[in-house]
Amino acid sequence: MWVQEARLPTAEPELYIPKPARILRVRKLTEYENLFDVAFCDGRLLDHAPGQFVQVSVLGIGECPISICSSPTRPGTFEMCIRRVGSVTNHIHRLGEGDILGIRGPLGHGFDVDELHGKDILIVAGGLGLAPVRSLIQYIIDERSRFGEFHILYGAREPKELLFKNDLTVWRERQDVNLHVTVDRPDEQWRGKAGVVTTLFKELPSLNPSETAAVVVGPPVMFKFVVLEVLSRRIPQSNVYCSLERRMKCGIGKCGHCQANNVYVCIDGPVFKYGQLKAMREAVE
Amino acid sequence: MLDRIIKQSDFMSVVRELSRQRRLVGPVAREDRYFYEVVDEPSKLDLSFNYCVYGPRAFLFPPTETLFTFDQRDGHFEAKPVLDNQPLAFVGVHPCDINAIRLLDHVFAEDHRDEHYLTRRENTLIVGIDCLKPCTEGVFCADMHGNEAKDGFDVMLYRLHEDNDEVVFGVVFGSKAGREWMLYSRACRTPTAMDEREFEEYQRMKAAAFPRRLKTQFEELPALLDRSYDSLLWEATARRCYSCGSCNLSCPTCYCFNIYDEVDMSLDSGARKREWDGCQLEGFAEVAGEHNFRPKTASRLRHRIYRKAKWILEQTGIPGCVGCARCDRACTAKINSVEIYNQLAEEV
Repeated sequence: MWVQEARLPTAEPELYIPKPARILRVRKLTEYENLFDVAFCDGRLLDHAPGQFVQVSVLGIGECPISICSSPTRPGTFEMCIRRVGSVTNHIHRLGEGDILGIRGPLGHGFDVDELHGKDILIVAGGLGLAPVRSLIQYIIDERSRFGEFHILYGAREPKELLFKNDLTVWRERQDVNLHVTVDRPDEQWRGKAGVVTTLFKELPSLNPSETAAVVVGPPVMFKFVVLEVLSRRIPQSNVYCSLERRMKCGIGKCGHCQANNVYVCIDGPVFKYGQLKAMREAVE
Repeated sequence: MLDRIIKQSDFMSVVRELSRQRRLVGPVAREDRYFYEVVDEPSKLDLSFNYCVYGPRAFLFPPTETLFTFDQRDGHFEAKPVLDNQPLAFVGVHPCDINAIRLLDHVFAEDHRDEHYLTRRENTLIVGIDCLKPCTEGVFCADMHGNEAKDGFDVMLYRLHEDNDEVVFGVVFGSKAGREWMLYSRACRTPTAMDEREFEEYQRMKAAAFPRRLKTQFEELPALLDRSYDSLLWEATARRCYSCGSCNLSCPTCYCFNIYDEVDMSLDSGARKREWDGCQLEGFAEVAGEHNFRPKTASRLRHRIYRKAKWILEQTGIPGCVGCARCDRACTAKINSVEIYNQLAEEV
């Protein structure tokens, strides 16, 4: 037929087919989020870049996009922080060690770590945004000598919503990581800082803006305010990275669900430079 | 340049031959309207149709289809892709729909290859039939360069004249498969110089017959939309829109879909399926946790127009709209895309 004559390469027969992966460990992070440590049943490695995502399947229930929250520098297994919010994620929360999930991926464009090498890094995460960026944090810690100064600002709404509390303790104790954490609404036990994440900018030492890369990940409402702070520190726009959340159905640039203006978040992102995003009016509105 | 000349009765005999090898899909009259349907008998095709209510995309990209079946009995995890490789032939497809299929070919092959679409497509022979004049009022196919198909077909027919009440077609081959099939008939003959002159006259008459309805050249539409993002027209038009998605449903180039699972009574086996979805429906851009990235009718309406006239063209180099005006005819609120483009052009 006409397309055959155009000599298109052969199709990918398993494009939509998830591969079985076993849950090795489940850790409760908060009331709504669990951390799942999984590995492919056939021993294959995920081989991902920090910031990429996978489509997670429960056969018979459905599929949803989940960011990979462990670093490729820690291969063998991979971790996903899953909030129970819809039918698929609620079902996943009922699974335990030894149970099987379906995985497609890794998908999308993650962080270009080569571009970040040699730079000072400022990570600003809000709420569940810490999950996708944790893969990058682990990567930087594992390859620490390849990066300059390392600042992390993390904000959650309430103390009980803070993710990865064990990690936060470890990161705080490290001399080579400058971590600041805040909550919007402190409770009586909270001894840390209170306020939205932008209030943590005053904790930062003076930055070397042209040598600093900023990574901003969080709920849509957060982006504008954080990017404003970042740019007011004179970090160039080309050094500002954001990761977007959308309702990816196919994860491969076909189904149209994750389209924000003229980009497909699933294949063009989810990690974008701010320079790309500002031309996209729908990016974080 | 024509490749062959064939009379309609001779053409129908080769179609009959074709129907022995392939399922036939073509225009069928249903009262006063036409639909693309599977026919068991070539005589049911009506090649004198004006237009089909829907394009033929459903036969390449069905409204629902199974991506894979699964079985998870006793802790197994088994998933098998389901592909449809039944040979098909579209007989009687207008240039607008051929151009729409060209876009679908591109999007389903680009980046990641979608074997479900492409398996059907690679087993489909397309016989086009050209339009000498607009099929109905309201179309803007000439504006969108949709009324001519330069490729994307296996065989193209041009209605040159009638001879003893019988149509005589000029034939252009678009592929080797099309050529081989057509040359199977001894009744088609080599075109003469007179046939070529007649074909040139046909092209001149065609060029004069299609009105231009847009105030903006097709190449300028992306720039027009660039300037129109904040126009009040989106909100004003959206006041009439019911977000019903009829425009998406009737569009030959719409290809968005949803993915869902169906389980058998055992709960152990079932299928993952996809179904057509529409960007005009309210929940289309909603994410888990109920944040909706396009909660307003106006933003969804704008999204569709931008896709059709700007983004798809910029991403693929192929127009996202072929000007068939099916969306305008299907609209329950009589929203008209030509009117939108022309009003935007006046604002600037």
